[in-house]
Amino acid sequence: MANRAQIPTNNSALIAMIADEDTVTGFLLAGVGNVDLRRKTNYLIVDSKTTVKQIEDAFKEFTTRDDVAIVLISQYVANMIRFLVDSYNKPVPAILEIPSKDHPYDPAHDSVLSRVKYLFSAESVASDRR
Amino acid sequence: MEEEIEAQISDLSITKKKTEAEEEDQTLIFLDSVDDYLILIQTLSSTLRQGWLELASARHSMGASRVNTALLSLNHRSAATKLDLHYPHNIDGSITKSPQFNLCKWTSTDDNNSSMEKENIEEDEQLKENINSLESENQESSLESSKGSETVASPHKTENNFQKERAKVLKMFGTLVSPKLRASQLSFETALETLVKVANVRSSILEAHDALVKDTKNLKE
Repeated sequence: MANRAQIPTNNSALIAMIADEDTVTGFLLAGVGNVDLRRKTNYLIVDSKTTVKQIEDAFKEFTTRDDVAIVLISQYVANMIRFLVDSYNKPVPAILEIPSKDHPYDPAHDSVLSRVKYLFSAESVASDRR
Repeated sequence: MEEEIEAQISDLSITKKKTEAEEEDQTLIFLDSVDDYLILIQTLSSTLRQGWLELASARHSMGASRVNTALLSLNHRSAATKLDLHYPHNIDGSITKSPQFNLCKWTSTDDNNSSMEKENIEEDEQLKENINSLESENQESSLESSKGSETVASPHKTENNFQKERAKVLKMFGTLVSPKLRASQLSFETALETLVKVANVRSSILEAHDALVKDTKNLKE
């Protein structure tokens, strides 16, 4: 029973977010905000008072929820929990690192590219795209 | 005996060429996917920058107290924009591990939406009655115009639904909102579409990478 493979089906799923206030506000404007009956949201707003533990807990929660298909995380926030993000290897939910207002995207830190960078020279990916 | 050995050698060389060709194909797919990923991330960055700028402009015109997340209530509400997951089949018939993501924008599941659909159905029926009464003398022209009005009504109805859902979300920030806030909403919608493409390309990078690693191990063996 426990080892039975899940039959993939088409179903609606949410986009979770762990990002700064402006990014979360923007995506909430785009309609991705969800609050369930237990008042649990599909987003965590990260500010100067947010602790690393809170970010870790949110990441673990969103990556274990059945109704979340994509987790958006600002790259500077992902750097705070880099070990957790890099050790995550499931196809769903997909973890996407996005730039933030104050921290531009750095391909050298991206978890997907760092997983495959041994196939290239590490410098060529970062330098050619600047 | 020699012929058998020669046949085996030629079989082995054909198998080796096929494996090399497959590996080259996988390598090309992998490199293309990485290139697409980086280009999409650049596009996403510029779209997000535009969205943040418009949000900042909206905050400047409406006031910081009107454009912040403190206004977001924790009342139960469903996301209007969701994702559909689809697991395509491989050539051999097996199902892929990584799904394809499809964005479903502005799909509301609350009661308001069902009443909205009923309104739209009534409007369509009334429209049809009006057209039939006006074009009753010429049957051919009435058929053409009813077809034309139906084809115009469907995308118009979808856009109407989108506008209504967008307005519902904007109401969180007050009745009258800045045009910059509306522009920011559209920018973040575009960013969402790009993100879904990024997610799909990410899946293909990881699949191509896994295939290459498997091929490399097979070759070593």
